Amino acid sequence: MSKKLNRRDFIKSTTAVTAGVATISSGITLTTFAAEDSPVTNEKRWGMLIDTNKLTESNIDDMVNVCQEENGWGSETHSTGAQKPDWIKKVKVRDKTTGKIDMLPMMCQHCEQPPCVDVCPTNASMKREDGVVLVDKHLCIGCRYCMMACPYGSRSFVHEDLSNQKEHMPRGKGTVESCTLCVHRVDKGGIPACAEAVSSDGVIFGDLYDANSKINQTLKKIQSTQIRADLNLNTGIRYSGI
Amino acid sequence: MKRLLIVFLALTVTSVFAYGVDKHINLGDRATELKNEGKSRGIHPSLSEIRKMHPEFLLHKRDKTVHQGIRTRRNSLKECVDCHSTTKNDEYVPINAPEQFCSTCHQKVGTSLDCFSCHRTTPKEDL
Repeated sequence: MSKKLNRRDFIKSTTAVTAGVATISSGITLTTFAAEDSPVTNEKRWGMLIDTNKLTESNIDDMVNVCQEENGWGSETHSTGAQKPDWIKKVKVRDKTTGKIDMLPMMCQHCEQPPCVDVCPTNASMKREDGVVLVDKHLCIGCRYCMMACPYGSRSFVHEDLSNQKEHMPRGKGTVESCTLCVHRVDKGGIPACAEAVSSDGVIFGDLYDANSKINQTLKKIQSTQIRADLNLNTGIRYSGI
Repeated sequence: MKRLLIVFLALTVTSVFAYGVDKHINLGDRATELKNEGKSRGIHPSLSEIRKMHPEFLLHKRDKTVHQGIRTRRNSLKECVDCHSTTKNDEYVPINAPEQFCSTCHQKVGTSLDCFSCHRTTPKEDL
């Protein structure tokens, strides 16, 4: 006796088969990974959490020093004080009422809505897909609008001829520069030099979107803030303890 | 018409001679090594292509690196400098100095480029 396949059975069996195929194919897509020569995507957003309670003053000095060492800035001899580059600096904040003093490292905040990108006339100031804000120095004409637009004062202009730059960090007179979140390291799976310099949990670097990343989990747990959060720039650098 | 032909011929002949005389006096240390080992064809399959097209290659690669974070070695300026620079008295000579690999041709054809006011002129930091 041949079994007749009625409509209900047909739907049941096809659903089972489809579910099976879907399970297998999802396994396949999970195993594909990003190759070295694939462009960065907006599936990631790099960020950093800085806990000022866990950072001592010497930690912050270390962060500044390793940044200078890594990216080769800070030895400009012909620039005056205000002209000298400041990719990352130590900021002291004092509460007038209580006299409480906070120290924090301050650099490009890698905003989601960066004002520097809005004002750039040549599109040199740009945001990568993964949220890192950079200056394309090939396009920069040195107008310094971005320096005026940045609420954090984190950009600087190169005022003098340079030589002996770092191989991975071209810098030159007449262009604007700022913290790059050490993209040359991050693109190769590393972390920024300043985050590496601090051994404690004072600085956590990672992917803000990844629910399994340390930075994401810590941000869910603890109280944190963005500097000038009132500007709604949604910064990639977050602070806690201030 | 005849005069035009003569001018044209004269130009062609001189350019051929010029090409014959024009040798890369300074190929660079590592590049000379690779050429002697016969490995240079693996890096630049066609010499005429790299001679003619290297500005486009570099331009394309620079945008990919800065905007998309693709940091592969092929067509990167770093790699050009790595192979084509020379050493003198145990020190690298800046690649944009006169008589060095980049400048020999660029001077000849009268282009003035500004790669090396920002980019490092010698290979990696430590020799």
